[in-house]
Amino acid sequence: MRSEPLVLGIETSCDETAIGIVRGRTLLANVISSSVEEHARFGGVVPEIASRAHLEAMPGVLKQALIDAKISLNDLDAIAVTAGPGLIGALVVGTSSAQGLAIGLGKPLYGVNHLSAHIAVDSLNSDHKLEPAIALLVSGGHSSILQVNNLTQDVKTLGSTIDDAAGEAFDKVARILDLPFPGGPSIDSAAQSGNEKAIEFPRGLTLAKDLIDHKFDFSFSGLKTAVARYLQKVPNYARADVAASFQEAVVDVLLLKTIAAAKESGIESVIIAGGVAANSRLRELAQVRFEAAKLQLRIPPRSLCTDNGAMVAALGSLAVTRGIAPSAGGLSADSASGITRPIF
Amino acid sequence: MSQVLVIDTSTSKTSVGVVVNGEVKFERSQIDPLSHAQVLPEFVSEALEKFPEIDLVAVGMGPGPFTGLRAGISFAQSFAIARGIKVVGVCSLDAIARSRRENSFIAVIDARRKEYFYAKYENGNRIGEPDVRQLIELNRFEIPIVGDLNGDYPEIKNIAALAKAGPSIDSPIYVRRPDAYPAPVGIKFRALTQLDLVPIFSIEKESYGVEAWTMAQLKEESAGKDRFYVVAENAGAVIGYAGVVNLSGIADVLTVTVRADHRRKGIARELLRRLIDWTRTQKCEAIMLEVKVGNEEAMPLYRSFGFVEISRRKDYYGPGKTAIVMRKELK
Repeated sequence: MRSEPLVLGIETSCDETAIGIVRGRTLLANVISSSVEEHARFGGVVPEIASRAHLEAMPGVLKQALIDAKISLNDLDAIAVTAGPGLIGALVVGTSSAQGLAIGLGKPLYGVNHLSAHIAVDSLNSDHKLEPAIALLVSGGHSSILQVNNLTQDVKTLGSTIDDAAGEAFDKVARILDLPFPGGPSIDSAAQSGNEKAIEFPRGLTLAKDLIDHKFDFSFSGLKTAVARYLQKVPNYARADVAASFQEAVVDVLLLKTIAAAKESGIESVIIAGGVAANSRLRELAQVRFEAAKLQLRIPPRSLCTDNGAMVAALGSLAVTRGIAPSAGGLSADSASGITRPIF
Repeated sequence: MSQVLVIDTSTSKTSVGVVVNGEVKFERSQIDPLSHAQVLPEFVSEALEKFPEIDLVAVGMGPGPFTGLRAGISFAQSFAIARGIKVVGVCSLDAIARSRRENSFIAVIDARRKEYFYAKYENGNRIGEPDVRQLIELNRFEIPIVGDLNGDYPEIKNIAALAKAGPSIDSPIYVRRPDAYPAPVGIKFRALTQLDLVPIFSIEKESYGVEAWTMAQLKEESAGKDRFYVVAENAGAVIGYAGVVNLSGIADVLTVTVRADHRRKGIARELLRRLIDWTRTQKCEAIMLEVKVGNEEAMPLYRSFGFVEISRRKDYYGPGKTAIVMRKELK
């Protein structure tokens, strides 16, 4: 094996069929086929539609990734695949494809955790020290603050959402504002022309009494209700202002708690990852606040925040480099796996 | 020498085999509806130890329960890519049927939810495309039924032979549309009021032409005893309606109608769901409906709720216009 492993990563946990290829920590290819348009008319991802789309897209995505990376399958040192958490029917297309490749090629297979992979994307195209770090992981299905002692072995959850995930809140509020699915990008763009100070929406779990039990936890369900109530009360509302003020409330509380967690743990590096990390207001405000707090902020480029295969390959590559054993033969997808299990 | 790797995950049985020059030389299988994805790699690894020079992959493309089916197909697809060899898909029902000697029979694969994927065979040939029905409907054909329900699964040697004969089926045979349709977004469902009759009347005329209810009929139908009407509303406009009557314990669906520009969005499904919910509150024993022959496109929707064809009524909609009667038990 070369000193730097060549790893292919497959991601199919939700509506993105994605394959990435990395050599060590260098990104060589990142191909994504999304079925998001097919889900838009339902206002959310339909599992069976996503699963069908994965199977159909897989060979083409694989071919393109190999072309982009200028490698052939036999050059690979290992295959990595998202084994969970995610939609079970969707995950199985990825894990079965990965096993077909791994067995066909006679290469080792690593089942990896989707959440850990979102953080592992931070390792790409730079040689900075990865751990320890505090990670804010925010996506359509997850919102948590993590203490990353060792990305492939030891990740501790400091706090997480007690109801909706941040991305879910974006989807739901987009729906009541009559903005298209997925809500993240549509609220982000609607908010561009709005005033984020126009409406004072509540910041969940930030009162002194909430902090006793939920110091680093989030709650976005009350915020969603507050937006709905505001729309009923003010029928002639300015949509841009509502979008901007809602977004501000989410971003504010995400950053507030993440900075507090970093301060308390004494860890100065913070990674913001997951689909919501592509939000422009979050990125902008994070720069300002982290600088003021004298913390080091690491945030992946937008294209690597939403689900992709590069992050899976990145985590697989770290596992290979660190000498972690490949997954056993009957790797099975686990739709509800927690971050305590970074490599399967 | 040709070594064919055979994979089938269309039934609760995960089958892996190697066929060399037409003879089954290796076979491993396990019956468990939930473990296709786990056992498949193990079986294939074992096959490769004995037969490392596979030069063709033959895979059952279903029909079958989706998640298990896709485990086999996606594995086969990427294994073939890894080896630089061809993958040929075959119809798994054909692989069951190929061993039968009867002139006329139905091959089935359990589709769960009390239904079976099936196809009819005559003199060794499949008649038409696979479809899905409840067993009691299939019994009405009065010909033998064979398949996983009586222990007949797609056979390794048949899959290999069908693959050799070709042509390849390149997409999974799903039969059912993607299920788990979520409620339509932005559509409100509420009970009918007198104010809805005018917009409903215009949808009625547009949808049924001369057979439409008159305004007077509409008033009478919607106001009668033991009835429940629900309307679907989009941005304040009525776009669909449905009604049901409880005739001493047996409910009868009176209408399910959606404005032409809002069809195929899951609105009829949601309307029907509300009718069924209401009949349950009325402690009805069963719910029935009539479908006009020629309007069978609505039948998959009814079947997905568990409605079963029980009879046909001639001239129900007027001379020469037959109705298919469907019934769903509620107990």
